[in-house]
Amino acid sequence: MQYDMASSQKHIQDTTPSMANHDEARPGIESYPLVFTGATGEYFRIWIVNVFLTIVTLGVYAAWAKVRTRQYFYANTRLAGQVFSYLGNPTAILKGNLIIGGGVVIYLVVKEFVPMFAGIIGMLLYLALPFLIYKSLRFNARNSAYRNIRLRFLGTIGEAYTAYILYPILIPFTLGTIVPYWEFRRKKYFFNNLAFGTTGAVFNGRPGPFYLAYFMVFLMFIGLIFLIGIFAAGGAALIAFKHMASSAYPRFPKGFFMLILAAYPIILATIFAVQQYLYGKLMNYCWGETRMGKLRFQSTLSVWRLIWIRISSLFAIVFTIGLLVPWVKIRRIKYILENITVVAEGSFDTFTASIEPDEKSAIGDAATDFFDIDIGL
Amino acid sequence: MIRFNGTYFDGKSSLPRRVSVFFDGVFLHVEGSNLPEAYKVALKDCVISPPLGKTNRSVKFPDGAVCETDDLASIRKLEEYTGVNRTWRFVDFLESHWKAVALCAICLILFVVAFTRFGIPFLAKEAASRIPPEVMQSMSKDALKFLDTQFLKPSHLSQEKRLEITRLFRETSREMDPKTGYTLEFRKGKGLGANAFALPSGIIVVTDELVALSRNDREIAGVLAHEITHVKKNHAMRHLLQSTGVFFLVSVLVGDVASITSVASTLPTLLVESGYSREFEREADKEAGLYLIRKGWGTKPYRDMLDRLTKSHPGTPELSMLSTHPETEQRIKALQELEASARKR
Repeated sequence: MQYDMASSQKHIQDTTPSMANHDEARPGIESYPLVFTGATGEYFRIWIVNVFLTIVTLGVYAAWAKVRTRQYFYANTRLAGQVFSYLGNPTAILKGNLIIGGGVVIYLVVKEFVPMFAGIIGMLLYLALPFLIYKSLRFNARNSAYRNIRLRFLGTIGEAYTAYILYPILIPFTLGTIVPYWEFRRKKYFFNNLAFGTTGAVFNGRPGPFYLAYFMVFLMFIGLIFLIGIFAAGGAALIAFKHMASSAYPRFPKGFFMLILAAYPIILATIFAVQQYLYGKLMNYCWGETRMGKLRFQSTLSVWRLIWIRISSLFAIVFTIGLLVPWVKIRRIKYILENITVVAEGSFDTFTASIEPDEKSAIGDAATDFFDIDIGL
Repeated sequence: MIRFNGTYFDGKSSLPRRVSVFFDGVFLHVEGSNLPEAYKVALKDCVISPPLGKTNRSVKFPDGAVCETDDLASIRKLEEYTGVNRTWRFVDFLESHWKAVALCAICLILFVVAFTRFGIPFLAKEAASRIPPEVMQSMSKDALKFLDTQFLKPSHLSQEKRLEITRLFRETSREMDPKTGYTLEFRKGKGLGANAFALPSGIIVVTDELVALSRNDREIAGVLAHEITHVKKNHAMRHLLQSTGVFFLVSVLVGDVASITSVASTLPTLLVESGYSREFEREADKEAGLYLIRKGWGTKPYRDMLDRLTKSHPGTPELSMLSTHPETEQRIKALQELEASARKR
């Protein structure tokens, strides 16, 4: 039998899963850091085979590839000696992919032939988005299990519409000052509605820290706003030009290219910094304010480390034409997960499952994945 | 027979129970000190999770309980004994051997290259020929309207000049593609300078600057023949459909990378697309050249025109990877070769 370091380590933990808290000086309270045991080489091989099978089956295998990838990450995430498992049904995901894929094709065709209707379709999609997000959260929570007990998502559709439609509509009327509150409501929608079996989570966060984080972002942007303005104008003109009819002798002033080439790294770096800053700060805050029964959480992400991971990953991907994607994914997830600690007051062994029908439709998951909407973690 | 240790979860509580499992050929026997009672269940009623790297395997019992184990070898024996998970064992075989992975990668590259080179253009051609002409007409009208508001102005050409070019155009279009109804539009190029475009329904736009740049009708005929080929071969629609195809292919290929950077997905799309455009331009040049040779004028007028057109657009970047037209020198050379081979025959 061949075992790597990680799995021999798990042997040691396995022997004392339920007695861990007896060893500590403060009886009853024990910290359990998440451990991630995924290996780059192993995941690289899974990834190549996934892409290969997806392409030769013209995309059908994508559903199975997604389940396999998620299961790989879940099964390598270890908490208090036990691993997570992903139970998503590939056939349901395939159906979701087909519906979303078909929708996109229709949208592209309509946009080309009757541009007027494209706006209407976009509007309908926007209105459907909260529902799709709700479905996606339910599907993924319901298909995540730990110790053979499924997670659940208890949020309502109404809450989703408040969090994803109502607040964005208010942005212009509040001159954007509602944006941090909007983010707060989205995070609350996620963290306050998670449940592990019959044990629901409670999110005690306040909007204040969100406003602080966004104020810092605002300052970051002020410095760069006029630069972006100049380059965006050049870019827009170029895009307008590219989409014209088949012109025989197009004429691109050299300046356009130079401007965009020079601006791109600056804009990209700023966007990365802002994204990672918000992600790190807000993730740490939200986990810290979440309770699940007798469980507390700590997240100790460093913003600088997140930015470094993002920027070095970009270079790694560009310079290896994508070959390092598996390394990039493993590295980021390992960093994020291993910064989460679960503080348990009492044992992990007393949670109970809830009897609830499964969320069978994967359409929300397919949609949020396609549009790359960041929800939850 | 087969025996392994694992952790048993009954599916009702989070309590882990260390158990030993024994398979007698038909039934799994689950035994453990903290299990309420010994468990016996037919293996055919259980679901064994597919193999995946070195991760734990699990056996799911009919009542919803699960036994997780890291004894991968024993589970493999169970699978082989009962013959389940055959497909997944093959996928796992691929995933766990570097040589198989390398083979997959090579096949993947070959498949992608063949698909972008032959598959997508073929499918696009088939689909483009099925687009109803009314759709193309309304599209072209919209496109011309857009061009008029953004890039073009009314023409200042004299009535005689227009008549002369229109007569030339009628002749060229009739001889090249009698089945399509073509129309010619004159515009002032404003920012576009000396230029000509074809819209998919058969509207061809010529700028005043282009007419001014030409020294005789044969030069204009070359440009018109080039544009007529774009329409005749349905290049615009095919290009549109091919772009959509590449968009889908790239999004499947990079999939989860897209969130990291748009560069990763836009750059290959751009490269493949500009390859397609150049292919179409080459075809249009070739057809124009052949037409001029048939007329007995030779390709020289068109070559001269191309040369002058390029010189009239000094701002065109020399980044040949990004430019949609093959470099002028290459185009002129291709036309010379075409003429030489036509003369031999």
